[in-house]
Amino acid sequence: MVTVGIPRALFYYYYFPLWRDFFRQLGAEVVLSAPTNKKIVNQGVALAVDEACLPVKLFYGHVVDLIGKVDMIFLPRLVSTARKEYICPKLMGLPDMIKASGIALPKLIEVNIDMSKSDRALKQAALALGRYFTNNELRILRAWNLAKFSQQQFEYLQADSGQLALEALELWNGESDYPRLQRQEERPRIGLLGHGYNIYDRYISMDLIQKLQKLGAQVVTAENIPADIIEEEAARLPKRMFWTLGKRQIGAAFHFLKRPDIIGVIHVASFGCGPDSLVGELIERHMRRAKTMPFLFLTIDEHTGEAGVVTRLEAFWDMISWRDAQCR
Amino acid sequence: MRVYLGIDVGSVSTNLVVMDERREILHSLYLRTQGQPIRTVKQGLVKLQALLDDRYEISGVGTTGSARNLTAVIVGADTVKNEITAHAVAAAHLVPDVQTVLEIGGQDSKIIILRNGVISDFAMNTVCAAGTGSFLDQQAARLGIPVEEFGKLALQAENPVRIAGRCSVFAESDMIHKQQMGHSLPDIIAGLCEALVRNYLNNVGKGKEILSPIVFQGGVAANAGMRQAFSRALGTEVIVPEHFGVMGALGAAILAQETVRQKGNTNFRGMSLVDQEFTTRSFECSGCANACEVIEISMDGQPLARWGDRCGKWENSLSASLKIS
Repeated sequence: MVTVGIPRALFYYYYFPLWRDFFRQLGAEVVLSAPTNKKIVNQGVALAVDEACLPVKLFYGHVVDLIGKVDMIFLPRLVSTARKEYICPKLMGLPDMIKASGIALPKLIEVNIDMSKSDRALKQAALALGRYFTNNELRILRAWNLAKFSQQQFEYLQADSGQLALEALELWNGESDYPRLQRQEERPRIGLLGHGYNIYDRYISMDLIQKLQKLGAQVVTAENIPADIIEEEAARLPKRMFWTLGKRQIGAAFHFLKRPDIIGVIHVASFGCGPDSLVGELIERHMRRAKTMPFLFLTIDEHTGEAGVVTRLEAFWDMISWRDAQCR
Repeated sequence: MRVYLGIDVGSVSTNLVVMDERREILHSLYLRTQGQPIRTVKQGLVKLQALLDDRYEISGVGTTGSARNLTAVIVGADTVKNEITAHAVAAAHLVPDVQTVLEIGGQDSKIIILRNGVISDFAMNTVCAAGTGSFLDQQAARLGIPVEEFGKLALQAENPVRIAGRCSVFAESDMIHKQQMGHSLPDIIAGLCEALVRNYLNNVGKGKEILSPIVFQGGVAANAGMRQAFSRALGTEVIVPEHFGVMGALGAAILAQETVRQKGNTNFRGMSLVDQEFTTRSFECSGCANACEVIEISMDGQPLARWGDRCGKWENSLSASLKIS
């Protein structure tokens, strides 16, 4: 059986169920790179261009981790996933950067996904992808439909039943047959903003979600908010946000401001993220203007010390608890 | 008489405060950490022992600062608190209606915004330590002036020069340049203070609503030049509390008092701990590719606590009586 390697980085946190089931239906075995560890980070930082943000550097490390373990590596180019919207330019250029890095790569599965003009581009991309395995279009489309169903389940788990991506992904990545589903308890809720590939990666987020849970909080992320609410909230901006990932963050931020059960918001951004330097500023401004929501901005990069993050988190938690106690 | 001990072990200084039940400071010590937190804490305790006779009973201990967890294990602390909360608690105790706390320590600087006695926002310097105590220390040494005199010189300035304060390396070359041009020393030092304040307000204080009463604390508050530069830049009086240098320790002592009030007894090991031998060692765990650096603290050869491992394998393998963090 042919093995397809998927780097456990970037869009893994958004689309893994779709990819896994599509390749499986076409008869391939899917292999993931190891969860981020120090070796992967070091390799990524050494290979990537200096200007890249941490998640992009990390992607290099995950690609290297797969070499020798798989026949092919899946390296899609995501240009746009919605009409008149775009993915960050660094992510668009990622396949080229990887190929130019001098890493001895196995065969690559490449595809261009650009839905900026029409949704039909997605079906074309699926067919192009499928042809790496078979010429039978019917078989490809059947695999695609089944995979889409998986993806819907994954999104449902997050948006409707409040699960966090990392636990929900366990259903697909083979780490657990029973995901450690988060019970929706009456605990203070913290809104956590930030790209999935930053906040769900336990290594580079320095276990931020687990740390918050340990402190006694329930974590709510942008992925836990239904897409129509994100759209509606993001539309309140005077100008349309054309970065899909940024729009998700800003829509979530506006939504958190309205939710009485959210008692604080934390925004995590990676140092060197172009879109976030603008989106982050917008979010911070709106949060400060509202004056009612405790807000913490954390920047992470490969040099970030855990001590600084822990100090800020603890102080943030003290601040919220203190305020909460006084309100009662 | 019941007293409470607060210990703040920072990058540059280690401060100890002993306060009574009414939160009056009886003794305070300001020691240089010099990279040896355990030894410095012990030294501090030995000094306190000489100051406190049998009438005093240490009924609670709190630790804060970057070595708060290490110190907590060694002394047997009742509460371990981050330095932001500790500083805010101390400032709110001394100036109950405080709305802004400016704190500049050895290697970090923070701003804490309080409203109605509760923290509403804070920020800490991120990647850059320009404008903190270490830099002032270094500049004072370079000019051959004791750091205590440094600030007073700034007050004699007639016409502070403009120094580029964005980065401490550039600030230094700019200062040297101004010296070579023939500017007077007080003018340069005053200019440096203004540059550091500008840098602080633009970085740490960015977007914060700085309202008075403003309390300025931390080791750098000793510097008269910095105090003057802050009140000029903010256009209002800046309050420097009497014990400005040990506010973190005071906050830790207050928090210890509150904790002990709730739980009834203290975990303090007693002054005899100064005779015990504490050792730390670190090793690289080879369990997985993370290669975590695990730190182990032992008392007289017996492991007390371990941390540094991401998975908690080492941390949990000890049934430490004290819970870290």
